[in-house]
Amino acid sequence: MKITINSKEIECQDDKTILEVAKENNIEIPTLCYQEGFEARAVCRICMVEVDNRLLPSCSTKAKDGMVINTESKKVLEARKINTELLMSKHIQSCFVESKEHELCKIAKNVGIRQAKFDSNKKTYIVDKGIAIVTDNNQCILCGRCVQACQMQNVNAIDFAYRSYHTKVTPAYENKLDDSVCVNCGQCLLACPVNAIYEKDDTKEVLKALKGKKHVIVQAAPSVRASLGEEFDLPAGTLVTGKMVSSLRKLGFKKVFDTQFGADLTITEEAAELIERLKENKNLPMITSCCPGWIKYIEHFYPELLNHVSTCKSPHDMFGAIAKSYYKDKYKINKKDLIVVSVMPCTAKKFEIQRKEMKKEVDYVLTTRELARLIQLKKIKFNSLADEDFDAALGLSSGAGTIFGASGGVMEAALRTAYETATGKKLDMLEFNQIRGMSDFKEGSIVINGKLINFAVVNGLGNAKEILEQIKNKECKYEFIEVMACPGGCIAGGGQPKPTNKEIVEKRMQALYTNDKNSTIRRSHENPAIINLYKEFLGRPLSEKAERLLHTSYIKRGT
Amino acid sequence: MKILQNSNFMALSKTAGMKPEEIIELIKKSGLTGRGGACFPTGLKLEFTRNSQGEKYVIANADEGEPGTFKDKLILEKNPNNVIEGMIIAGYAIGANKGYLYLRGEYSYLKNKLQKVINNAKKIADKLKIYFDIEIISGAGAYICGDETAIIESVEGNRGNPRLKPPFPANHGLFNKPTLINNVETLANLPLIILDKNWNNNLRLFSLSGNVTKPDVYELELGASLKKLISFGKPKNKIKAIYFGCSGGCLPYEDITLNNEAVKEKGAMLGSCAIIAVDEKHDIVDVATNIAKFFEYESCGKCTPCREGTMRVLELLEKISLKKAANEDLELLEELCRVISATSLCGLGQSSTNHLITALKYFRNEFTDKLK
Amino acid sequence: MSFKDIDEIIKERKDNLLLPMLQAIQARFEYISEANAHYLSRKTGIPFSKIYGVITFYEMLYTEPKGKYIIRICNSPSCYLNGSLNLIKFLESSLKIKSGETTKNRKFSLEVVSCIGCCDKAPAMIINNKVYGNLTEKKIRTIILGLK
Repeated sequence: MKITINSKEIECQDDKTILEVAKENNIEIPTLCYQEGFEARAVCRICMVEVDNRLLPSCSTKAKDGMVINTESKKVLEARKINTELLMSKHIQSCFVESKEHELCKIAKNVGIRQAKFDSNKKTYIVDKGIAIVTDNNQCILCGRCVQACQMQNVNAIDFAYRSYHTKVTPAYENKLDDSVCVNCGQCLLACPVNAIYEKDDTKEVLKALKGKKHVIVQAAPSVRASLGEEFDLPAGTLVTGKMVSSLRKLGFKKVFDTQFGADLTITEEAAELIERLKENKNLPMITSCCPGWIKYIEHFYPELLNHVSTCKSPHDMFGAIAKSYYKDKYKINKKDLIVVSVMPCTAKKFEIQRKEMKKEVDYVLTTRELARLIQLKKIKFNSLADEDFDAALGLSSGAGTIFGASGGVMEAALRTAYETATGKKLDMLEFNQIRGMSDFKEGSIVINGKLINFAVVNGLGNAKEILEQIKNKECKYEFIEVMACPGGCIAGGGQPKPTNKEIVEKRMQALYTNDKNSTIRRSHENPAIINLYKEFLGRPLSEKAERLLHTSYIKRGT
Repeated sequence: MKILQNSNFMALSKTAGMKPEEIIELIKKSGLTGRGGACFPTGLKLEFTRNSQGEKYVIANADEGEPGTFKDKLILEKNPNNVIEGMIIAGYAIGANKGYLYLRGEYSYLKNKLQKVINNAKKIADKLKIYFDIEIISGAGAYICGDETAIIESVEGNRGNPRLKPPFPANHGLFNKPTLINNVETLANLPLIILDKNWNNNLRLFSLSGNVTKPDVYELELGASLKKLISFGKPKNKIKAIYFGCSGGCLPYEDITLNNEAVKEKGAMLGSCAIIAVDEKHDIVDVATNIAKFFEYESCGKCTPCREGTMRVLELLEKISLKKAANEDLELLEELCRVISATSLCGLGQSSTNHLITALKYFRNEFTDKLK
Repeated sequence: MSFKDIDEIIKERKDNLLLPMLQAIQARFEYISEANAHYLSRKTGIPFSKIYGVITFYEMLYTEPKGKYIIRICNSPSCYLNGSLNLIKFLESSLKIKSGETTKNRKFSLEVVSCIGCCDKAPAMIINNKVYGNLTEKKIRTIILGLK
């Protein structure tokens, strides 16, 4: 059908909203509460356009044949300006920060707002400083994107409360986020257009540690190298491993290690654990345990099924345990002087390291964004850095380790090792394409020693309920399940650069899979550093030492 | 009053012998429009709902909340039979078996009586082989729940936020099913239309209150003279202005024909026929501030212009009242009125500034006199 | 703490409609405590955060105990034009509380509310489902004294 936008005749398909048609034709209409992939709520009223002398929200109004639309009329501009001003006044007055993350300020700038027309924000809220996530209602503009994200995750820790000007997004009974069922996945943080939700800052503590005399080492997750470049205007999907290592060295870390090493270690332990469970036919299906958001979710909502979760710690925790035992002994470093920092795409990891079971083996977690801030703070010119390599001791890794950051990656890495160690044969094809990609739920099967093993990958917490109910009702046909809280996997984690949308996530994903393809070693069990670690220190997978250092337990939290 | 004529379920008996399509035709021919203020043709609404697919529902909107309106209360007190009967007739016409009477929390003292009427009606309807269950849902103190999509949200167990339209309740309403929502007065008229060939579509219930000594519900024909209505009210002092509830706007007191066209021509809305008389002892700026407080308190909080705007309108009016405002403030106030009216998500926000736009049109000097 | 009453309330509502359940809990316990709301959430599967959102949306649902008599006095235009503001001030000074508050002995709560549909008896108030209209300071004094 044909519609007219700003006097330009446009052909478009049926059943599209005005906003969608405008986007397809490169006509810019500012939006705030609109989130791709979610139902349009049309509450911010910033995207209004004029049709037949009336103003209509373009995000939710379907285009009709013959419609004449004006996106820049006098009426539209007046409305856009006033509604933006109303939101700016609700927001902190002084926040005219030019940041690519701050969608409201960007709109304010485009609409020509220089100073507030209305008296300052009337309400003052206490900032909720959580272990992993900080929520500041003083900056909140009630767009509801965080609530939508939390609903999509099926966690529902937050919702709207009160009415009129007193409306607020909060956990029930104004409890702190840490006292609610929040799993710290940070999807709300990624959704927030105004930074009313942000990660707890650990940069100050890390800088203090770096300034001191202690032996501060750092490890970086696979996802970080696939996305850090975005913070420095490199295109999404640019692998910046070398520059990442170089910048970490320049920041003053004594050693720069690779979490992918920890991932290979996790795979070695987890594959062995799977094989053992298959042999004993106990506690099946086994579910992966490297995602702390997922762990907290099952502890809250399905504590009775905790026996299914692998007892393996997550890669960076395993790394921390090895660092504070094997590494410190080998290199004669006093435990008191050793500080381990992890750079993660994940906000939930900040909560994870504080768990009693983790014994402070990792001292601090920095998100990808915090690392970028540190690099900018220290005026390191990221884009002109020369590539450097990880330090050897705990820096060697395989392609299997790198794909951990993508949904399906843990499963694929584990299958490569489980199959080859159990059968003694090599896989014809290392790629398991059926569990790659952005689908909510992926599955496949493989025959190991005559037995058919069914495996599944759950992508995003919102998709976990169905399979958990199946397990509860003893109707589950799978033996091995991977669950990642963030849709797309860790590359879409709460600590990642903003924006994080489907297009960008797919590009980051691709970078990791390409990295795997280009790796000389692609199987965790062929990583010589891992082989050596077992030879020198751990003995064999699931040994008494391995159980003590590399495995953990869970808490029945309930709701 | 015609509206208080108890049909004693005779209309229901007649209905049982008619086809649903016949009922709908009859209602369409009668010209009945919604009496809640929106004035949508009831027959059409019935038809749309009937023609939609899925299990159907009827909701009686007894969430009368527009300040100055108390006509529905009168009907619920004095002629509840007609209301319940009207619900059953509507249900029969659209093919629904379940209805909810959404009774505002502030009218809870009517609940027991209404339940008795419902129980009695059920017995009569069952005998006529018309199977329709009615449940009373109590509101809990929110003016916004008078909005038809907000009432649906409230019944479903959500916050009473209005929904985007389309889709319309006739297609996707309660539990996403086709739903008919009608005002109490509208439903009370259905039995009268069925029984009376000469039913008068021009009768309206005018709720008169404010600075009058005889506030009451007066049943008059559309087109009646405002002066006549006010004279029934016997005001003590000279009347300066009349407000059509809080959302209909205000007009300076003079003889106006009380029908939709004449009132609209002057820039106001007759709506649910609430007339609040303001005498000359009152300051229009004070009245405006009082009404602004109402909207600020009752805004549901969902959309920016209403949630933020109603608060800022009140803020500016208070500034004007305290004689601390300058001309820019008045300009900003008018700009706010335009944007809130044009961009709010629902009728509450859209009509929340009518009182101010009309007050500035007809009583501007009372505002400008207070400027610095 | 026994949640038997809540179990019964949930059982009565096979359709799981939240608003009537909350009203039933409030009718039984005078308000909806965090513990009760949490239990309701666990048993019905309705998210805890949503339940709180619904309670706090509606003016007549409470998360904290109120007084024995909840005075709802109207301040919408019809009552305002008939002197409600002065009567509100009178109530505030008589009860020694501000609107929105509850007396120390938990006997009275004072709420200023929007139009209660008693414009023909303006100025008016509702106390626990009973309407008092055509109010004057004298009438209010008598009413308050009469409430044990």
